[in-house]
Amino acid sequence: MENLHNLIMGIGVALQPYNFLMAMIGLVLGVIVGVLPGLGGANGVAILIPLTVTMAPIPGVILLASIYWGALYGGSITSILFNIPGEPWSVATTFDGYPMAKSGKAGKALVLAFLSHGAGAVLGVVLLSFFAPIIAEFALRFGPAEIFSVMFLTFSAFVGLGGKDPLKTLVAIFLGFAMAAVGIDIVTGQLRLTFGSINLMGGFNFIVAVIGLFGLGEIFLTVEEGLKMEGIGARVRLKDIREGFKEIGQNKKALVMGSIIGCWMGLKPGGATPASFMAYGFAKQAAKNKEEFGHGASAGIIAPESAAHGAGTSATLPMITLGIPGSPTMAVIMGGLMIFGLTPGPMLFVEHPEFVWGLIGSCWVGNFIGLFIVLAFTPLFAAVLKVRFGILMPIIVYVCAIGAYAVNNRMIDLYYMIGFGVIGYLFKKLDYPIAPMVLALVLGDMAESAMRQALIIGGGSPIVFFHPPIALPIMILAILIFFWPTITSLRKKYAARTTIGPG
Amino acid sequence: MQKANIVVALLLFAVGSVVFYESVRLGYGWDPSGPQAGFFPFVLAVGTMVCTAIIAIKGIRGYKKGTEKRLIPEGGLKPILWVLVPSAGMILLTSLIGLHLAALCFLVFYMRVVGKIGWVTVVLVSVLIPMSLYFLFDKFFLIPLPQGVYGGKILFF
Repeated sequence: MENLHNLIMGIGVALQPYNFLMAMIGLVLGVIVGVLPGLGGANGVAILIPLTVTMAPIPGVILLASIYWGALYGGSITSILFNIPGEPWSVATTFDGYPMAKSGKAGKALVLAFLSHGAGAVLGVVLLSFFAPIIAEFALRFGPAEIFSVMFLTFSAFVGLGGKDPLKTLVAIFLGFAMAAVGIDIVTGQLRLTFGSINLMGGFNFIVAVIGLFGLGEIFLTVEEGLKMEGIGARVRLKDIREGFKEIGQNKKALVMGSIIGCWMGLKPGGATPASFMAYGFAKQAAKNKEEFGHGASAGIIAPESAAHGAGTSATLPMITLGIPGSPTMAVIMGGLMIFGLTPGPMLFVEHPEFVWGLIGSCWVGNFIGLFIVLAFTPLFAAVLKVRFGILMPIIVYVCAIGAYAVNNRMIDLYYMIGFGVIGYLFKKLDYPIAPMVLALVLGDMAESAMRQALIIGGGSPIVFFHPPIALPIMILAILIFFWPTITSLRKKYAARTTIGPG
Repeated sequence: MQKANIVVALLLFAVGSVVFYESVRLGYGWDPSGPQAGFFPFVLAVGTMVCTAIIAIKGIRGYKKGTEKRLIPEGGLKPILWVLVPSAGMILLTSLIGLHLAALCFLVFYMRVVGKIGWVTVVLVSVLIPMSLYFLFDKFFLIPLPQGVYGGKILFF
């Protein structure tokens, strides 16, 4: 009951004129960013963080979060109309969204996508509102060993369930931590990995890394395929909305499944991208009309879109309660929080309730209003892509440079940005996952100090991490998930052997 | 693709060994105040080296000549370089004349040479956009963007 009270207060905060204005601006920017290649959710937010430093924390974070909600919606527009995913999590939407648009039902495809986003958002925000305080209270009892174990679980999830080569995932994680370690060691004051360079003493800032990896890297990927932005024109008419509602009613299972998968993936950090693929896979398997998938099946849009948005919104939950971002973009937003001096985690609920509930309130407000904005203004947003790429591209690079420099006012960051761009491109091509690397970069210092403190408490023995009652089950779960691919392949081999069996 | 895979894995192995060297220098054991500064990097370095070594070895063993898929699709390298080199150039230029002027040059260059866009649009965009971003960021948001060595003298406002 008290939480409902808090929620209402939070929504009230979100509806204050200045905050509401920030949410609107964020949403519109977010949709535009979601539509453009090279400016994505993660790096669009990253570029704007230096701006928000001049603002108060609450409107600042509302602005950043609203960009994320807008980008979640916006990615669908290009996927459906141009067959170009504006965001990594809208790739699955191209499978059925574009074919549906090509067959003349672009409006319906868009409506299905947006409504599914809305549904995923609702589930995500509901989970957020009701579980956040519970988890936060639980997390108050966390000591350094528990904090480290939760982080270990996070990264194990990437290795075991991330869908990419576990070895490469591990390398990405180690590299991310190593980059986080560059600079002055907090505990001993020693310089690490600086090799006498003054520049390296400042370490790598995650915002610059994100802008380079996701921004420039994305641009290189877009350019190498020589993309032409020829799209299908579409307007969303009332008739489409009515049809869309009807279709969703007929595909309730896909919607619910997608939202649940999405929220699950957002909570157990993974993010919107893996969520959308997983939901698409599930929907296809569970469908009675499998052959329609890939040619414009409604469920093929509904499932991944509700999952992507569910993941995006529920990613907020572990971030504000445990300080573990549920998706790369949420990692950036968390970084922004830290810049404001607000440490995400259970203490945030205790010390700054108006901030936390204001953020949750703006999740409600922002996601709903976002739905209407995209339904009404899709043609305007799609028109952004009609601008010639030759004009758009250098402007995007220019804006990225501004963002990278504004973080710390260092020229070297601009060079780092380009370096990260090349790394991002290579990694994407060679299937090294970038998300865990960014997460490791953001969480590196926290993870290391948690580990050190825990080891000191435990007197140097790693047994301290397996202490009941909280750390032990988390570590066991983490190790299970870590070795999941090995377990599944062993099970398959065993099953094959027994079917060949006696004979 | 397979070659690039192996090469990158070896490069990352080298990075791991650099971190290893650092962690040994800093000390990776225990001292009275707890784990030394090199402890965490040591674990990272060993992990990186082991994993990249396995990746490289798997790549070398599984290397099939003739099934080599290209890393960069046909004709893809040129557009990438056309983005990378001018962007790098713009950054280098920034330390000389400041970000906005460098961006102006970059915009003109890319739009005209690569995008083959008409002069009118080129001039309009390359002057208006940096100017508006200058006023937005430097004056309104008060975020100082690099002026470079000569930039402040060229733009005297």
